[in-house]
Amino acid sequence: MSAVERKDEFELDGDDDDIDENELRRQEEAYQRQYENEQTWDQLQEDEFGNLFVDKTAEQRARRKRLLSAAQSARIRKGMIRYLLLVVDMSRAAKAQDLRPNRLACILGLCRSFIREFFDQNPLSQLGIAVMRGGLVEKLTDLSGSPEAQVARLDAAKLGAPAGDVSLQNALDLSVSVLRSLPPYGHRELLVVFAALATCDPGNVLDSVRACKENNIRVSVVGVAAEVYVCRRITEDTRGSYGVALNEAHLEQLLMAHTTPPPATAAQAKAELVRMGFPQRSTEEASSAVFVGLEARLLSGSYTCPRCKSRVPELPCECHICGLTLISSPHLARSYHHLFPVPSFHEDSKERASEAAAVLRGQPAMRDEVPTSTGLYCFGCLREVSQPGAAGQLHLTLRCGQCKQVFCFECDAYVHEQLHNCPGCEFGGT
Amino acid sequence: MKFNLEGLTVYFPYEYIYPEQYRYMLELKRALDARGHCLLEMPTGTGKTITLLSLITSYQLAHKEVGKLIYCTRTVPEMEKVLAELAELIDYRAKYLGRGPGSNEILALGLSSRKNLCIHPRVAEEGSRESVDAGCRRLTASWVRERAAERGARGGEGGAEEGGSGGSVADIELCDFFEGHERAGVEALLPPGVYTLSDLRDFGRKRGWCPYFLARHMMAFANVVVYNYQYMIDPKVSQMVSRELEKECVVVFDEAHNIDNVCIEALSVNLRKQTLEAAGRNLGKLSNSIRRAREADAARLQGEYNRLVAGLVAQGALRGGEDWLANPALPEDVVQETVPGNIRRAEHFMGFLNRFLAFLREKMASPVVTSQTPQVFLQELQERVQVDAKTLKFCYDRLSSLLKTLEITNTDEFTPIQLVADFATLVGTYAKGFAIIMEPYDERLPQVPDPVLQLSCLDASLAMKPVFSKFQSVVITSGTLSPIDLYPRILNFNPVAIQSFQMTLTRDCLCPVVVTRGADQMPMSTKFEMRGDPGVMRNYGRLLVELSAVVPDGIVAFFVSYRYMDQIISKWHDMGILQEIMQHKLIFIETQDVVETTLALDNFRRACDSGRGAVFLSVARGKVAEGIDFDRHYGRAVVMFGVPYQYTLSRILRARLEYLRETFQIKENDYLAFDAVRQAAQCVGRVIRSKADYGMMIFADKRYQRHDKRDKLPQWITRHLKEAHMNLSTDMMVHVAREFLRAMAQPYDRGAVGKSLLSEAALAALDATGGLDGAIASGA
Repeated sequence: MSAVERKDEFELDGDDDDIDENELRRQEEAYQRQYENEQTWDQLQEDEFGNLFVDKTAEQRARRKRLLSAAQSARIRKGMIRYLLLVVDMSRAAKAQDLRPNRLACILGLCRSFIREFFDQNPLSQLGIAVMRGGLVEKLTDLSGSPEAQVARLDAAKLGAPAGDVSLQNALDLSVSVLRSLPPYGHRELLVVFAALATCDPGNVLDSVRACKENNIRVSVVGVAAEVYVCRRITEDTRGSYGVALNEAHLEQLLMAHTTPPPATAAQAKAELVRMGFPQRSTEEASSAVFVGLEARLLSGSYTCPRCKSRVPELPCECHICGLTLISSPHLARSYHHLFPVPSFHEDSKERASEAAAVLRGQPAMRDEVPTSTGLYCFGCLREVSQPGAAGQLHLTLRCGQCKQVFCFECDAYVHEQLHNCPGCEFGGT
Repeated sequence: MKFNLEGLTVYFPYEYIYPEQYRYMLELKRALDARGHCLLEMPTGTGKTITLLSLITSYQLAHKEVGKLIYCTRTVPEMEKVLAELAELIDYRAKYLGRGPGSNEILALGLSSRKNLCIHPRVAEEGSRESVDAGCRRLTASWVRERAAERGARGGEGGAEEGGSGGSVADIELCDFFEGHERAGVEALLPPGVYTLSDLRDFGRKRGWCPYFLARHMMAFANVVVYNYQYMIDPKVSQMVSRELEKECVVVFDEAHNIDNVCIEALSVNLRKQTLEAAGRNLGKLSNSIRRAREADAARLQGEYNRLVAGLVAQGALRGGEDWLANPALPEDVVQETVPGNIRRAEHFMGFLNRFLAFLREKMASPVVTSQTPQVFLQELQERVQVDAKTLKFCYDRLSSLLKTLEITNTDEFTPIQLVADFATLVGTYAKGFAIIMEPYDERLPQVPDPVLQLSCLDASLAMKPVFSKFQSVVITSGTLSPIDLYPRILNFNPVAIQSFQMTLTRDCLCPVVVTRGADQMPMSTKFEMRGDPGVMRNYGRLLVELSAVVPDGIVAFFVSYRYMDQIISKWHDMGILQEIMQHKLIFIETQDVVETTLALDNFRRACDSGRGAVFLSVARGKVAEGIDFDRHYGRAVVMFGVPYQYTLSRILRARLEYLRETFQIKENDYLAFDAVRQAAQCVGRVIRSKADYGMMIFADKRYQRHDKRDKLPQWITRHLKEAHMNLSTDMMVHVAREFLRAMAQPYDRGAVGKSLLSEAALAALDATGGLDGAIASGA
């Protein structure tokens, strides 16, 4: 068989040059349009006065939708006390630069804010960190209740470079050994931030999944690259959640979704009394400084355990002598808002506005109205908000269903995500 | 649901129907109304089978004059799947029509070879199909049973209970199940219902009836018969099995994209050196038994001779209950003549076969490649050994008559001589559409002598012709039939409907891309001048490395041939590319050994299940490309390295191309490109098996960029081939893959599926307005 013979036989491949130049160019341009364009200026719009603005209503609507779905699940019983092990992927895949500046830096940054947010939302809970690297799992911190100590460990410079493979099985095994001994009323959770697309395990990963299931550990995975079957399978088996991030912002959303407590499982549904202590704070005068805590640091201002009278530096924590959970009442109150969320606001419309006007007219003016061009102002921040349905609407206008007050989008988010009280309702006493 | 389709009430077992299924039904119904054949393409994963079954059984119900539904599948598992879907449909229908007599209940059964149906404890254990067949005959042949009956009658006074048991009489063993079925005679009936092969076996065990013969017997009463392609196309089998079917039957060929190759194989015979030697030994044995028979029972041979003189063979006087040798030529080509005088006597026939065999041996000894038409071959035969075409034509019938007369039951031993007779009859019968090709050695290994004498059928329409002419409606359907207009030409028929349907999808879950160059901008192709180039091989390797880093779980890669795969894998090994891939995924390779490949596939699936990820390297036109699905996470990406042209130096292909050009005016290039692209489509289609599935399809060859290739792909692929994806380099492809896989990993909104589904109410509205396309267009 020779090349000459083959070529003569049939003109199978035709001429290479007969592809239209224009067609090639068109294809090239189509590709660039779709994948290489990051023309942020395309988002700019101009209103009738020539002011430039970025239309954010679509984005804001999407965010509200998430809030809404969170509010709907309020009726479901939730785990207040969570024990969460956060495992960060530091394999070779974390070096990829499709998230900026690279996957690892992006993940670590978001994990730090995740930890702060987690403790803010769940003051009674504890969290520990581990990293997966070179096929192993290294435990960075034990489960504890203080955010800052944890955050300090998640530093890219201290952690070293990502390398090697990932082993999900090792991570699962670690979570079982760490979480198994915890009291049954707590929610045991494992959250894996997964950059790799394959897991290289010492044995069968599904055996470890079974162990997790037996120990009531809920495994959730946040992926950054693509859907991996085994992750889907693990999360489905353990009733966790699985999400794959599209970009940095989406990754943040997915991570933050884990700050709200998951619904309680049947195993934890039965009521149980948990013994807790509410310690007293001693004075902060320098003269009253005493040795505090396990490390016996000399501190002024500490908390005294009501059972064994030992001193601890901060709340919430577990007493290092008698093991009693020590908290303060604001912590408990803050955990409660998951159970009694503020009802979600509605997007304002003409009908709602007129209905609200009738209700509000009867009430005495609370303060001097702020003069605005639209005549509408946000009850929270007193800034101007646009009329419902007006052209060139910059932000959404929202109205509380109970007190009928108007709020801007930022205040809506603040009320629902952080404040957990509606100022209009509190103020009006309704 | 139950809905009205242009006046026909259709029972469909699901609550919703896809718009393409509705359109498919409509097209099919019009074809049935017109009593014509049709050719329909609809992608896999759209529920083709249930659509077909649902419409045709509903049609049978409304039009009593329509005969059976004959559903032809390629494999036994497919057959079981069809029957399972049918069972579901019938259960659903029973809700409307009720059960019990008079409620139009359906009898549906699968038919397969004895190997799959036998329940005789010893015979069923036999390994191959031939040995099970022979084992069965040894117990059920008419003369064996007669002899047993005689023996039983003689000893009848002594032991009546022995004859009554119906089992083995004295030293002659019979099959209890066959005897049971025979005793029941016409009373042996299956109650209505759907019977898979295992259902048939269970039923047979319970009643003590032979399931194989029961199924053959019940074919006459069944409404739906599901069996293998061979039973319809291969003249040897179809004459036995499908002869009795009425003209009004609807014949369906599912997964029929390779139907032309099946047709050709059915009429082709390959003879190797070993075959001829074994045939020579067979002849010796036959001569011996003739001599013995003459000594012991000359009357029998004389009787046969007398029958042949009287020309009774043609009238089927010789056919008993065990018609196990049928003529390989097609029914209407068998001239209704008597066997010529020169082979009527058994001894003469032996001499004739000996001469023919000697001629074949001599031909095979030739050191050069020869290719002849049947006429030339016959002429040579006439000159050298004075054997004429007319005599050859009867070779097969004469042999089968002889084997029966000699009461030979171990037919599996006589396969070689049957092959030779097969060859002789085909050569004698057809002057056109065949080629006789003799190759003294394998093209790839010229130093090893391995002579093959091939009688190759060149015309796929020959085997299909009787099917098209006998049956009123023939439906040819598959997921990949594009370019669809070529099929009527190579199969030589006039369909009343040709249609290609698309898949309605709620998201873009197909992502076909054409990669034309590597990251270094050098073109990639398996073109002959380029395929050996180390640069091209490296670029192909890099493509797979990059891909295995961004695609999760399973990847399938197809190469154009085993030879090229071996070559490139060893090169990749030298370049260190395999090791790089292994960092991300395990590698499995298809080999020509079926057991090895099955093992590799098993482990491939395990690797995907456990999250390790794996790459499967396979070959287009191989077993894997044809029959194995890589759905869900088993195939998140499929790569087609190169354009899978056939091996163009093959003599058979050359002869066929020439024939196609002369007879059907199909240009060589057109046919080759058509064949290559349909194989490529078949390969990449392996990854999408349902609408919820998703996968990348990577065509890694510069030539796919050209219109003549691209336009031949099925519409459901080209529709998703965006302009931006037609000319990519490896790095661009990686980018596309990343974006695609991320988008596909997002939660799949099942509610949105509702948009592409039609409910009963929507269909009623549709029927009322009568505007299908308009309504669907506005709905979508």
